[in-house]
Parts: sequence; structure tokens; C-alpha cells
Amino acid sequence: MKTHRDPAAGDGRTDHDLVYAARDGDTIAFDALFYRYRDGIFRLGLAITKDPSAAEEIVVDTFARAHRALARLEPDASLRPWLYRVAVNLSYNRRPRKGVVLSSLDDAVDEPLANEDGSPSHLAEQAELRRVVLGAVDELGPKHRLVVMLHYLNGLNLTEIAEVVDCPVGTVKSRLHYALRRLRTHLAAHPELGIEPSRQVVATGLRAPKPITAPVPLEGE
Amino acid sequence: MKLFSRGCESGEAAYLIAAERLGGRERMALEVHAASCAECADALRNSRPLDAALRSAFAPLRERRTIIAPGRVRLAVGPRATAATNPWLRAPRFVARLAEVSVMVGVTLFAVGSSMDFSTRQPPSPTAPRSVVQEYFRVQPPMAEIDYVRWLRLVKADASSSVADPTRLPVGGRFDYEPVEIAKDPGASPR
Repeated sequence: MKTHRDPAAGDGRTDHDLVYAARDGDTIAFDALFYRYRDGIFRLGLAITKDPSAAEEIVVDTFARAHRALARLEPDASLRPWLYRVAVNLSYNRRPRKGVVLSSLDDAVDEPLANEDGSPSHLAEQAELRRVVLGAVDELGPKHRLVVMLHYLNGLNLTEIAEVVDCPVGTVKSRLHYALRRLRTHLAAHPELGIEPSRQVVATGLRAPKPITAPVPLEGE
Repeated sequence: MKLFSRGCESGEAAYLIAAERLGGRERMALEVHAASCAECADALRNSRPLDAALRSAFAPLRERRTIIAPGRVRLAVGPRATAATNPWLRAPRFVARLAEVSVMVGVTLFAVGSSMDFSTRQPPSPTAPRSVVQEYFRVQPPMAEIDYVRWLRLVKADASSSVADPTRLPVGGRFDYEPVEIAKDPGASPR
């Protein structure tokens, strides 16, 4: 298992403090911000461009812009959505051309997870399911795909996603709901995922809906 | 009767229940609602496996890391802005740029100046003695064939006025000999 030492882990300062310190010329503070967000921005750039070298350039360009904008940055506002917004804009400018197929995401999917055990056939099956799900995500429109990636890949909540994509929270909710509904329609064809077809399909007589037999457990239980 | 039913509006919350991590009270309310709404019950039942499938699919990507160092950002940003605001710190750069510009201007002037012709050709003095020999050779046609053709084209117009003996030059429609006319005498014998 690979271990990565994060230089920002030991820095307990908040983004607010680090931005103020970086404004005063504290390069260590800026480096701490860099180490704190570089991986997330790299993943987002990789998911959009599917090119690791382009994703690295996006990281560098994003923080270069942040460095130039230090004087204008409002430390009271959250830095993370601002960085992701810049990264999204840069990523869409560097998207691969039509017809150019890059397989970096598939390579990542093939790698077993650190906490994943089992036989090689089980691991291969899990990798195949991941590939199916990511393929279904790729079938979404760009706005819906971006919302799904920001939420499930970068772990942003709906408010932060709304800041990144510059639209109301209700619009983000609607996009995420629409994306999940479409994903459900796509993924219902794979019974091993445990997802049933939507009610519109059921209404045509394919299968009857199951009643709720047990309440969904509460969060944290 | 609803002609265009949009479905239950709680269905959106049912899909987002796993994604948004609703609070316990909201979740309970939604589950109570789902007991009487088939659409929300269906969405609620499938939101969790869908959420789990997405989290599992993105899990390998969440483990991807990069090893870029912040030095690359400093390289991309360039020299610090504080150095540019201090005029004394800008002096060496200004002197260096001034030297560059001076060299550029000097080289350019040298190149342009050497390509221009500054020769001062004095007009012939009226008091200089005329050389009859030079004038004679000046009006003579060149010996080489190509030079002769050029000379013929260039000096043809004014050659007639400058040549003292027009019968010696094949210009102006005159030749140094009379053109031979072929006598068409049917009774003449060949030479």
C-alpha cells in the first residue's frame, strides 16, 4: 500500500488564516493551501480531461491564478469552491478533442482498492461494475455529469457545488436528482448492482414495485 | 383531473436522501410520506444502492494523487510582485534591458548603414579636358554578344545623335554597308 505524507496535514490553520498569511508573503502558508487542495483539483481535472498531464497543468494553473488573485480573494468566503470553479473552467478548456479516446480513468478503475479483498475474479467483477457505472456517468450531459463528479468524486455538498457552478442550490438539487434518475435507468440493466428499474418502466408491466418492508436506517446508525 | 402530472415533488428528496445526507427528522418525514406514495417509496428504496454504486465507482479515482510540488506554481507565477513594485530592485533589470536595446539599435544601424551607397560621384567638371580616345571607345559597341544586345537596346534611341559617323553603326535603320538586294533575274546564271 502506498503511503503519502501530506505536508499540509500538520498545518492546523484554517483556509482563512492561510490566505491572510499568504497575502503577507508567507510562502509556507501558500504551500499548505497547495498541498491541501492539489489532489482534489487533480482528480477533478483528471475526471474531466481524462489526461493526467493535463490534470497536472490544471493544478498548476489553478494555483497560479490563486496566487495572482491573493489580494482580491475574500478570505471570509470559502476558498475551496473558488478553487474548484477555476479548475472546472480550466478543465473544460482542455477537454480532449472529439475522437480522442484516453483511458486513464479505466486504468484507475482496474486498480483494486486498498481495503478491497477477494479472489481475482471478484476483483475483476467489481472493476467491471465500476466501469459500467462510470460509463453511465459519461453518458450524462455535461452539467449533470459535473454535478455528479463534484459530489461523488470531490465530496462537495450542494451549497459548495452551487458556488462552483454558479447557480442556485435548487438548480443543483434538480440536476443531481435528474442525473441520479437517469443513472438509475441506465444501471437497472445490471441486477448485480441491486438497482430496480424506475416506476415508469414498471408501469409498462415489466415488474411490480416492491413495498417498503423496512425503514431506511438513519444516518450514523 | 391532472392532465400533465409532474409526479410527487418529494421524489426529488427521495433520490437525494442518500446523497445529501438528510437529517433524521427530514428522513423520518420522507419515510412516512413514502408509505403512502408509491413513487417516493420506489425512489427511496433505490437511492441507497445507487448511491453505493456511485461511491464505489468513484473510489479508485478518489485515491489518485499527484506529486506536483508548489515550486511549479512559483515558476508559473514568475518573480514575486513585491520585487516589481520596488524601483531600486528594478534598476538592474532596467540597465540590462537598456543594454539590450542599445546593442539592438547599434546592430540595426550598422546593417542599414552598410547597405546604403554613400558614394559621392562628382559630375564631370566642365574644365576637364575631353579625351577623344575615351569618347571613341564609349560609343563603340561591346564585343561580347550579350553585352552588344543590351547596348543595342539601351543606347539605340540616342546613339544616332551621339555617333559622329552614323554609317558605321547598325542603328537608326542605317548600316555600314548597303543591304544587298537579291536580283531576281530569271536569266541570270549562278555564281
